[in-house]
Amino acid sequence: MTNIAAAARKHAPIFLVAAFALLPLAGPVQAQKPGGSITVGQELEIAGFDPLKVGVYDTSTFTAAAAIFDTLTTLDDKGEAAPKLAMSWTHSDDYKSWTFRLREGVKFHDGTPFNAQAFKENFDRQKDPANKCRCAFYITNVKEVLAPDETTVVFNLTDPSVNWPAVITIQSSNNVIQSPTAWKTKGDDYNRNPVGTGPYILKSWTAGDRMVLEKNPNYWDKGRPYLDRIILKPLPDAQSRFASLQSGEADIIWDDENDADNIMKAQKDSKLTVHTYKGSGAQVYAFNTKVAPFDDVRVRQALVMALDRPKMSQAISNGLSRPATNPYGDGSWVKCKDDGALPFDVEKAKALIKDYGKPVEFKMLVTATPRGRMIGQVLQQFWKRAGANMEIEQVDQATIPSRAFTRQFQMTPWRIVDLADPDPQMYANFRSGSPLALAGYSNPELDKLLDHARVTADLGQRTEDYCAIGRLINKEAIWFWTFQNTYYALSSAKLKGFPKIYNGVIDVSRTWLE
Amino acid sequence: MLNFVVRRLLGMLPVLLAVSLLTFLIASLLPGDLALVILGDQATPETVAALRRDMGLDQPLWWRYLSWLGHVLQGDLGRSFRTGQTVLQAVAERIPVSLQLMLMAEFIGLLIGVPVAIACAARAGGAFDRFMTGSAFAMLSMPSFLVAILLIYLFAVELHWLPATGYVPFTEAPLANLRFFVLPALTLALAEWPGIMRVLRSDMIATLQEDYIALAKAKGLKPARILFVHALKPSSLTLVTVTGINIGRLLGGTLIVESIFALPGIGRLLVGAIYTRDLVILQGVVLLVACGFVIVNFIVDMLYAVLDPRIRHGHA
Repeated sequence: MTNIAAAARKHAPIFLVAAFALLPLAGPVQAQKPGGSITVGQELEIAGFDPLKVGVYDTSTFTAAAAIFDTLTTLDDKGEAAPKLAMSWTHSDDYKSWTFRLREGVKFHDGTPFNAQAFKENFDRQKDPANKCRCAFYITNVKEVLAPDETTVVFNLTDPSVNWPAVITIQSSNNVIQSPTAWKTKGDDYNRNPVGTGPYILKSWTAGDRMVLEKNPNYWDKGRPYLDRIILKPLPDAQSRFASLQSGEADIIWDDENDADNIMKAQKDSKLTVHTYKGSGAQVYAFNTKVAPFDDVRVRQALVMALDRPKMSQAISNGLSRPATNPYGDGSWVKCKDDGALPFDVEKAKALIKDYGKPVEFKMLVTATPRGRMIGQVLQQFWKRAGANMEIEQVDQATIPSRAFTRQFQMTPWRIVDLADPDPQMYANFRSGSPLALAGYSNPELDKLLDHARVTADLGQRTEDYCAIGRLINKEAIWFWTFQNTYYALSSAKLKGFPKIYNGVIDVSRTWLE
Repeated sequence: MLNFVVRRLLGMLPVLLAVSLLTFLIASLLPGDLALVILGDQATPETVAALRRDMGLDQPLWWRYLSWLGHVLQGDLGRSFRTGQTVLQAVAERIPVSLQLMLMAEFIGLLIGVPVAIACAARAGGAFDRFMTGSAFAMLSMPSFLVAILLIYLFAVELHWLPATGYVPFTEAPLANLRFFVLPALTLALAEWPGIMRVLRSDMIATLQEDYIALAKAKGLKPARILFVHALKPSSLTLVTVTGINIGRLLGGTLIVESIFALPGIGRLLVGAIYTRDLVILQGVVLLVACGFVIVNFIVDMLYAVLDPRIRHGHA
């Protein structure tokens, strides 16, 4: 689902700060020690790296991709775009064209030179309709990529994007740069034999078991990486993954709020470090305002006001989940003094439903997982207290997007993922006529604010726009937010230099062992 | 005997055919369109239609089944659209792990179950018998994921004797390989031995009441000799069947145990295929596993006939 929400990019590029000069990669303060090997315990098995095969990367693949490949830009510790394979960039006045100057002398692991042509080939391959790549959806807002000379890449976008360099930092299948020679010569085998310019080279990969990555001796960033070897292991069971960390078979593991007990145990263990990243975005729910009873604002407001988020957090994650009252979250640069959140007020909710005058009965989609079922049951209880009857409809995770896109729902769960800028997702989720505007709600004032926020470079002005958008959505209760996105990794206390977990990516390519 | 084997083999054919039809239907009738899974939810109706045509998904079900069966008979079970691997490649990579796990589990299960059964049968109704029968019942009621987690916390986290998760191939490091398999095999075996014990125990008790045992006792043979030499073999007929059926059941157990202990076997492959809706892998693995089960049953039948000649001459 996370990738689906990122789909926002289709109808919405980005903005933010413009003049990104030659920011150096932010280096940690501690002294880095070279050498050593770590084992990373991941949640999922990696299917492969070829975008044409796997479409979009999942969070486990992100971790490997961060080590094997590079992107043009990266996010620094402040969450701003910084150079990686691109040294600098400029934009046109309307922010619809971005020109990147590439780093020279960089080579892929197979010796192929990295240049503008190689980058363009990566992009064209995904964009080519004949290749039928699932990945193509997420770059529909890029009209074309040009390579006027060896070291210059130009993106021509369909919509303005103030923050484009930050948008392309995530190690997704769209953004990582792969060796054209490798995919051309290896064919079907390329998927499991990826070649990038990144700090680590894939040495071996045993299906379902381990992926061994070894230090790239010719990495362009001299002195890096620090670790000689990274071993990635899929450890699908949360309990045994944590046990592997405790017994020393893994040095760092992926985790989430579902596993609250172990996260809390790790917080008390001096031998372990809990890495927490309070990202932007939130876990959200959309009302279909085109169908009863949600075509009436009183019902929508009543359901939102009946939610006791702290109690819900206690029930589902031992209180670890952080309540959300807007779609931006603590990790976002959008900070609102007033987001217009409706207060928790059961009496008011009851009154609104009484005022509505008809029985409030509806079905809600939830994922057919223990977690989905539990959240559904908790919501059901809150709403029952306010006098509304909700029926849980459990569906397969993959069914939710297609049901949502075809509007075959009354209420559906969704997610706003952690991205460097709110525009792609907000524009896609709330602009009238967008295929992702699940609520089916249309309001000229909301459209005006969304349009304005995406063509304004001034951060203060944009913050005002997004806060006004948040207030409007809260007042009209077309969507509601339950919890903010929080990302977790648990590691041995000896592992140092671990960066922020942007968008859930566990990037160990810059870590070292003390 | 040859007659019997041929009869049995012919009897397997309709079973295998039914298995193939069911497997095909599982994957075909699951909600969700394979073309949509490959192209993603945002694909346009035209691209989905084009892919459906390419893959033959627009053809009637019976035609698709026959064409799939035709490919299967030629050894082509298809190719994962996510990894590009063929089903056979994927299975070949994973099967040694699952086989080793199942064999070790069965071995440990027999190692615990057989001696306990003999000891119980020797003094049926005694304190030891009552205690073990009770324990067996308790073990049967413990879900394997719970047993696995308890074993991990005891032996890996607290005592540091054995690894919690992981795997190395036997050919690379035999001792380390065995260490990785102890806990997962023990988890499965702890659910296996009660069945083995109960079956053998009741058969042994029955055998021990036969006249020839009384004769042996009267001749003054040592009790141990009576138990192991005279009573064990005739009592182990049901055990052979149970062991055979267990292999099929163990396959189900591997789904959970391989996930918990991060063993890269067939169980994990199947769980992964379900999770990612990799229907080609799902279909192929289920087919192979089901056929494996049918073949194991065939072998058990053969063994049965060897152990008890009456069966191959009777109405089997």
